[in-house]
Amino acid sequence: MDQEHAMSRLLTPLVAAAVLALAGCASPQKAPATADVAVSRNAVENAVSAGAAELAPAEITAARDKMVRANAALAAKDYKLARELAIQAQADAKLAQSKANSAKATAAADALDADLRVLREEVERANAPSATTTTPAGATQ
Amino acid sequence: MKNRSTMSLLAAAVLATACATAPMTTPTLDQARADFVSANNNPQVSQYAPLEFKQASDALDQANAAAARRESLNDVDRLAYVAKQRIATAVEVARGKAAEADIANASRERDQVRLAARTAEADRARREAEAAQAQAAQAQAQAQAAQQQAAAAQQQNAALAQRAAVLEALLVEMQAVKTERGYVVTIGDVLFATNQATLTSSGMSTLRKLADVMAQNPNRTVLVEGFTDSTGSASYNQELSQRRAEAVASALGTMGVPRDRIAMRAYGQAFPVAPNDTAVNRQLNRRVEIVLSNENAQIPPRTAGR
Repeated sequence: MDQEHAMSRLLTPLVAAAVLALAGCASPQKAPATADVAVSRNAVENAVSAGAAELAPAEITAARDKMVRANAALAAKDYKLARELAIQAQADAKLAQSKANSAKATAAADALDADLRVLREEVERANAPSATTTTPAGATQ
Repeated sequence: MKNRSTMSLLAAAVLATACATAPMTTPTLDQARADFVSANNNPQVSQYAPLEFKQASDALDQANAAAARRESLNDVDRLAYVAKQRIATAVEVARGKAAEADIANASRERDQVRLAARTAEADRARREAEAAQAQAAQAQAQAQAAQQQAAAAQQQNAALAQRAAVLEALLVEMQAVKTERGYVVTIGDVLFATNQATLTSSGMSTLRKLADVMAQNPNRTVLVEGFTDSTGSASYNQELSQRRAEAVASALGTMGVPRDRIAMRAYGQAFPVAPNDTAVNRQLNRRVEIVLSNENAQIPPRTAGR
């Protein structure tokens, strides 16, 4: 983190210089960054509604953290950083959503398997006494 | 401080870039590559998440390309991170879809088990109903058999009673006397021709009644016993009693009574029923006694007293 901060502090003048150099064409960079941030926000919302807050807390926290930073970068007109953070946040959010979905499906499958096992046992128990009562009847015939 | 260390790091990086030919990497990129190999070997991923895996593969390609171009550690790491997350996403998507497939399978299986259970239950109910029906039929048959048996017993009893009544009536007609040896019918002297062993017609009619009794009571036998008075020699009397007893026995035989049911004894002048002092008493002693056995019984031998 410290290193990253240090790096960014060092890079900032360079980036600023680059931005200044590209000032003429800076506005086209703004649009894709804004779009990426919007897409990522959407991905985070989808993940949350899939239950990621409970089922994939680490991933959703990382995604939200990066969203905050992406928005800050956007506000600071650091569109490159905003885009990078948005892409990472999107990857985190999609992982959170898929984790939440698979956790739910796995739990449901396990519950169904358990149900099935219970049902099979019940059927076997129900059939067992009839089997023992029919055997002597068959033997006498 | 920080600035200076960063500067030296940068310097080192520049130096390394200058002389290193080995491909550069980062821990995150290493991790992403390892995850990729693992996901690539996971059959669930290729089956259920091919699209997600393609995206993850593209992201890893980008990170690898950045590493090959020796871009900054920061950039390589960033791309590697995205690749790592996408690989994990592909694995999770595959796991979720596999679980959904399991759910579909288990639901189908559950339906089958339920159907099998219902079928088994119906079969059991049918078997039980059949068993109950069979049992009821058996009980009915048993009741019917018992009823038939009772009717037969009743019929038999009625037949026995009728036979007993007929026997009773005939025995009364024949003036039979009940003794401990059985019924005794006496064919008196008047039923024989004088000094002969030939039966008169009324003697024959008594014997015919007795033959009827014998026919209706197959479990009875007869013992024909001949007696005389004390007039004349003992040997003559013995012979006369023998002839008269034989006459009765053969008459019964001609009337259809099997000979094996007819026994015969001649006693001569023994066992008189009256003192041989008057003509009337002597006539009483000249007789044939027929003992009709009790049902299924042997006739006990005559004892000296009688």
